[in-house]
Amino acid sequence: MSKLLIVEDDDALREQLEIGLQAQGFEVVVAATGTDAIPAFEMNKPDLILLDLMLPGKNGIEICTEIRKTSGVPIIILTARTEDSDMIRGLQAGADDYITKPYNFDILLLKITARLRPFEAKITDHPIIKIGPVEMDTLSHEVRKGDKKIALTPLEFKLLLTLASKPNEVFTRENLLEQVWEYTYKADTRLVNVHVQRLRSKIEDDQENPKLVLTVRGWGYKAGPE
Amino acid sequence: MFFSRIFKAALGLFRSSLQIRALVYVVALTGTALVVLGGALSITIGNGLFSTRTEHTILESARAKAVVQRIFQEYTGSSTWELNQGLAQVLPELEQKGVSQSRTVAFINTSKIKNAEELASPTSEGVQLNLITRDFRELVSNSNDIQNQTIQVRLQGETVPAVLTGEKITLPGGYDFQLYLVYDMKNEQETLWFVQWTLFFGGFFSLSLIGLFTYIVTNWLVKPVQSVAEASELLASGDLSRRLPVRGTDVVAVLATSFNHMAESLQEKINDLGHLSTIQQRFVSDVSHELRTPLTTMRLSADFLHSEKDRLPENSRRSVEILQGQVDRFDRLLTDLLEISRYDAANVVPEFETHDMNGIVGGALESIQQFADSKGVRLLAEVPSGEILCDVDARRIDRVLNNLLTNAIEHSEGKPVTIRVAHNEKAVAVSVTDQGVGMTELELMQVFNRFYRADPSRKRTTGGTGLGLAIAFEDAQAHQGMLEVIAEPQRGACFRLTVPKIQGFTNIVSPLPLAVEN
Repeated sequence: MSKLLIVEDDDALREQLEIGLQAQGFEVVVAATGTDAIPAFEMNKPDLILLDLMLPGKNGIEICTEIRKTSGVPIIILTARTEDSDMIRGLQAGADDYITKPYNFDILLLKITARLRPFEAKITDHPIIKIGPVEMDTLSHEVRKGDKKIALTPLEFKLLLTLASKPNEVFTRENLLEQVWEYTYKADTRLVNVHVQRLRSKIEDDQENPKLVLTVRGWGYKAGPE
Repeated sequence: MFFSRIFKAALGLFRSSLQIRALVYVVALTGTALVVLGGALSITIGNGLFSTRTEHTILESARAKAVVQRIFQEYTGSSTWELNQGLAQVLPELEQKGVSQSRTVAFINTSKIKNAEELASPTSEGVQLNLITRDFRELVSNSNDIQNQTIQVRLQGETVPAVLTGEKITLPGGYDFQLYLVYDMKNEQETLWFVQWTLFFGGFFSLSLIGLFTYIVTNWLVKPVQSVAEASELLASGDLSRRLPVRGTDVVAVLATSFNHMAESLQEKINDLGHLSTIQQRFVSDVSHELRTPLTTMRLSADFLHSEKDRLPENSRRSVEILQGQVDRFDRLLTDLLEISRYDAANVVPEFETHDMNGIVGGALESIQQFADSKGVRLLAEVPSGEILCDVDARRIDRVLNNLLTNAIEHSEGKPVTIRVAHNEKAVAVSVTDQGVGMTELELMQVFNRFYRADPSRKRTTGGTGLGLAIAFEDAQAHQGMLEVIAEPQRGACFRLTVPKIQGFTNIVSPLPLAVEN
C-alpha cells in the first residue's frame, strides 16, 4: 500500500482528496501548511507527494527544492495558478509532474499511479548503458560520469534511459510524454522541455551547448553523441 | 515647370508658416505705404521745383525786356542799319546776363511794316524754332504780359523739360518783335532725380529694416507658440510627461501654464483609467483564481459521488450526473475567462516552436472525430502532402482548430465539414467550412464578440462558453496572424486562420480562399 503525503492548505479540498484517495486504497498523510510539510515528509517517508504551490509559511517551490536535496521521491504539484511561470518554476525546482486546478479525480489518479509504478528496465545482456562519458546501470539505477556519481530522480533516470536505449533515434515530445510519463492523453509538452533542461544541468559539461541530449528542431529530442 | 514648382513651394511655406505669413503681410503693407508716400513726396517736390523755376523765369524775362529796351534807347535812330546794330547786341547781352544756369534766346521779327524785312531775327544757336507753336505765338502777339509754356527740349542728346517765355517788344520805328527765352530745367530735373533715387533707396532700406525687425519680433512671438504646438503634438502622440517652461507673466506664460495644467490633468486621468482597468483585470483574474480551489473540491466531490453512484438511490444518481455535468461546464467557463483575462492584461507570451501544420491539423481532427461521429457529421480534409513547417504555439493553434471544428460540427446540420490546409512562401492557412445554417450579416459582425450567441433559440449541445471564438481571435493575433470569417444564411460559414510561417513575416497573403461552399 503506497503512502501519499498531501500538502494543501484548503481544508475542504484536502479532506476531499483524502477521502477520494483513501477510497482508492492509498494510505494518506496530510500537512496543512508549508512549515508542516518538511517534518511530515521526514516523519512519514511517503512514496509520493501532492504539493500545493501556494501555501502559508513556506511555498511549494521552496519545499520542492528542499526535498530534492535529499530525495528523489515523486512530487506532483497542484496549482491554481495557470500562469506558466509558476508551473515552470515548480518543475524546475524538481517536481516530476503538475496538475492545474480544477482537475478531475481520474486524471490525478492516472498521474499518481504512473509515478508510483516501479520502473523496470528491460533486462538485457548489457546492464550498463553508455551515453558519451555517462554510464547508466539499469540494475542498480546508478548513474556515473567518469568517477563522479550523478543523482538523478527516478523520472530523470527513466527519461535518460529512454533516450539512451535508442541512440540517435528522435523522440517527439509526445512520444516522451507517452513513454516516460505514461500519458495516454494530450498534455503540455513543456513538461518535457523543463525536464530535459534539468537533466542537461546534471549530465552535460556545458548546458548551453549540449552534447548528450540534443534538440532536434521541429521534432523533439535524441540522445547523442552522433 | 521649374518656376511653378518654386511657386508651389513658396505657397506651401506661406501657408504653413505663421511667421512667413506675418512677414509677407507686414512687408507688403509697409511697402505699399512707402510707395504712396514716396510718390506723393516726389510729385510735391517736383512741382515745387518747377513752379519756383517758372516764377524765376518770368522775372528774368521781364528783366530781359528791360535790357532789350535799354539797348535800343541808345540807338535813337530808327534806320534799319542802326536797328540792326542794336539787334546784334541783343544775343550777347541776353545770353550772358541770365541769372539762371542757361537760357537760349530767339528775338523774332514779326513786323509787317515797310522795310521790316531788312531787320534780322537774332536767334541763339540750338534754338529749335519749331518748338514755338503757332498758338503760343498768337497768344504772345495778343497779350502785353509775359506768357509761358512748359516744353521739352533736346539738350546734349537728352530730352529735358524747359520753360518757354514769350513777350512783345516794339522797337523804335514801330517794328514789332517777339522775344522768346528758353530756360532748360536740367538742374531741376537732376535734383528731382536725385530726390527720387534717395526716396527709392531710403524706402528700400527702411522696408528691408522693417522686414528684418518683423522677422525678429515675430520670431520672438511665434517661438513660444511653436513650442506649444510641438509639445501638444508630442502630447497627442502619447508623451504625456511633456511640459512647457513658464517664463514671465505675459500671455505666452499663461498659455504655457494652462497647457501644463491640461497635460497634467490628462496624465492623471489616463493614469487613473489605466489603474482602474488594471484593477479590473486583476479582479477578474483573482476571482477566477480564487474560484479554482473550491471548484476543484466540488469536482472531486462530484467525481467521488459519481464513482459511488451505484450505492445511491435512483433519483440521487441522476442528480450526481447533473452535478458533474455542470461542474464540467463551470470548469470550461472559468478556463476561458482566465484565458481572456490574460489576453486583456496583455499577459500572453506564445511559445513559438517549429511544428508541422499538417501534424497539428491531424491531431485536431483525431480528437474531434468522436464528437463528429456522435453528430453524424463527416469530416473531409484537403491537405497538401508533406510537411508544412511553421513557427507556432501548437497548443494555441490546436485550441483554435478545436474551437472552429466544434462550431462547424454543431452548426453543420449533418452536412460534411471540410478542413483545408495550404501554404505559400510566407504564410500557412487552415480553413474550416461547413454547409449548415450559416449567419446573417448582423451575426457575422458580432461573431467574435464575447458571450455572443449566433442563435439564442438554438439548443446548445456542447455547452460552449461563448468565449471560444473571442479567444481564437486573440490566439490568431498573438501569432501576428488573422482569423477571418465569411458566411451566408442557410449556406454555411467558412472560418480561415492565417499565420506567418516565421514570426516577423509581414504583409502575409492567405493561401486559401475565404468562401462558403458552392
